[in-house]
Amino acid sequence: MEKLKLMLVDDEKRYLQTTAKLMEKKGIEVVTAQSGEQALDLLRTREVHVVILDIKMPGMDGFRTLRAIKTLYPPVEVILLTGHATMDSAIDGLQSGAFDYVIKPADIDEIVNKAYEAFQKRRRLEEKIRGLTSGSGRHGLDE
Amino acid sequence: MMDKKNMSEDTRTRRIKRNILTYMIVIPLIPLFLAVGISFYYFTTALENSSTQSLKRIVGDHRDMIESFLMERKSDLEMVTRLYDFESINRNQIIDDVFEILKNKSGAFIDLGLFDSRGLHVKYSGQYQLTGKLYKEEFWFREVMEKGRYISDVFLGYRNVPHFIIAVKKGAGADAWVLRATIDTLFFDRMVSGVRIGRSGEAYILNKKGIAQTGRRSGGVNVMEKDPEFSAFPSSGSTIHTFLKSDPQGLKFLYATTWLKDQEWLLVVRQEKKDAFRFFYYALYASLIIMVLGIAIVVGMSFFMTEKLFTRIEQLGREKKDLGNQLIRASQLAEVGEMAAGFAHEINNPLQIIKSEHALIASIFEDLYENKKIDPEDQEILELQDSLSQIELQVSRCSDITRAILKFGRKNEAREQLLYPGEQIPEIIKMIEQRASVEGIAVFQNIPVDLPGFMGDASQFQQVMLNLFNNAIDAIMEQHPDTGGRLEIQARSKDDNWIEIRVTDNGTGIQPEHIAKVFSPFFTTKPVGKGTGLGLSVCYGIIENFGGTMDVTSRVNEGTIFIITLPKADMEKQAP
Repeated sequence: MEKLKLMLVDDEKRYLQTTAKLMEKKGIEVVTAQSGEQALDLLRTREVHVVILDIKMPGMDGFRTLRAIKTLYPPVEVILLTGHATMDSAIDGLQSGAFDYVIKPADIDEIVNKAYEAFQKRRRLEEKIRGLTSGSGRHGLDE
Repeated sequence: MMDKKNMSEDTRTRRIKRNILTYMIVIPLIPLFLAVGISFYYFTTALENSSTQSLKRIVGDHRDMIESFLMERKSDLEMVTRLYDFESINRNQIIDDVFEILKNKSGAFIDLGLFDSRGLHVKYSGQYQLTGKLYKEEFWFREVMEKGRYISDVFLGYRNVPHFIIAVKKGAGADAWVLRATIDTLFFDRMVSGVRIGRSGEAYILNKKGIAQTGRRSGGVNVMEKDPEFSAFPSSGSTIHTFLKSDPQGLKFLYATTWLKDQEWLLVVRQEKKDAFRFFYYALYASLIIMVLGIAIVVGMSFFMTEKLFTRIEQLGREKKDLGNQLIRASQLAEVGEMAAGFAHEINNPLQIIKSEHALIASIFEDLYENKKIDPEDQEILELQDSLSQIELQVSRCSDITRAILKFGRKNEAREQLLYPGEQIPEIIKMIEQRASVEGIAVFQNIPVDLPGFMGDASQFQQVMLNLFNNAIDAIMEQHPDTGGRLEIQARSKDDNWIEIRVTDNGTGIQPEHIAKVFSPFFTTKPVGKGTGLGLSVCYGIIENFGGTMDVTSRVNEGTIFIITLPKADMEKQAP
């Protein structure tokens, strides 16, 4: 089974370090970014399946980052990390294409589970796309 | 300070109340007094005049009647003296014939006598034996011989019975003769006293010396007796006098007097004042009754109106105060809620890190066990483990608090739908029935199934009700640890627009100083760690969000009532 490649985006450095360690222990490949800008930058070069994105960040906030990711890298799934004040926006986030949201403070397992769900969705989507393209290929051969 | 302010407010209210009451009583009473007083004055003046006038008229008429009676009787005798000369009337039987004729003319005549110029009673017709008696020295005889005619006062004379006489003379010198008739005093009495005025009116005649010439209906002074009041009567003059006077018995009378018979007799007509002025008294009583009734009505109405007015004013004042309190409470809650939410949000980030760190430590421990680097039975390791699990527990406690706070601030998430108390509440009660029965608490519910619905979020409503039920059960258990607990849930249609839900317990109750704070966030009387102090404030926020209100009344050691008022959903939304 393909290894889940996860990106953590949060302005708290210590959180990134610890969570990354924990996730790597669980066999997840983790990339961390301390801002939206850095995340987008990293996405250009690194393959990432799922992004865990904090909404409240200085500079480019979670939403703008989410919209940018969804525009530039549509297959990348995004899970939002939210506090209370951004609850309504969490729903907006879902409408803007986020896979799900997690309310802080969240268990690491909760985040990981959601991440796997998102990963699976992405894989199903990829398989579907592959099936379609190969189907059309066969179709092409028949012709 | 507060008490002092309340007190001065109280005295001010009382003063205003007194002033209003005074004005309301005094102002309508002024026209009432004026109207009744003026009409009473004019009415009674008119009555008095008319009573006096009618008495005057009566006495005048009566005088004329008596005068004409006396004149007629005198004319009767004068006619006889013109028809007969002494010779012809002195013949046998003639005097009797003449007397018969006179008697036929007037029943007042009792006898008739003929006298010669020497005063000898020559002929007599009547029931006494007076013939042959000599009257030369009698006062009346001398008077008639001198003046030609004479009407006497009442006197006893030879016969010793009260009577008066009318005498006329014919001729002159030694040829002169006199015809004398006696008038029946009974007949005269009846005529004089025959006048009847009201209940007590009477008429009588006194002579110049105050001797009664006739009897009177009331008795008192008999014929020939002196009237003790005479000296007080006007002495002469032909006019009619009216006056008020007390008689010797002390009764007040209205008198009317006039002189007659050439100022020799005084006709008196009198009537008891009470009787004469009885309409005056009726008017007085009527006025008094109107006055008393008027005053009673004015005073009564004033009290009633003032009381009503002030009840309304007080109610408005109370409502205003309540509304003010509610507004203050609502804005305070909103502020506190906002602050708390911001605070919770900021706390969440460090909590998140602590949680991650904890997870990391736990995972490292696991690795150490697996690699057998540490002994899981080691005492110090166990203590570390224990401490670690405490961290997890306390972090989750913190996160419970922050989540509750966030829920409190999170209002727009509610999914509004039509909820029927008759469906929702019994379902929620089922959830706590088990706990209640274990604790020995009797649960009563009175929730009509046909109550109209309200708009709200089902799970939020459930949260509110569960919170109230659980609070109630906690309070009951403290007050009645074994049995005797009562939890009562009632719902009713309060009026056209509102549904009211009451949750009543017989628990410990809330201290009066705490009542104002029960809906404030973080207020709790429970021991540390047992409650966040957010439950009721969240409930309050939810109910407010439904457009309703939440209120509480409580008595220490008796119990608490939470009252939720919710607006009924619009008619078109209600199920048919």
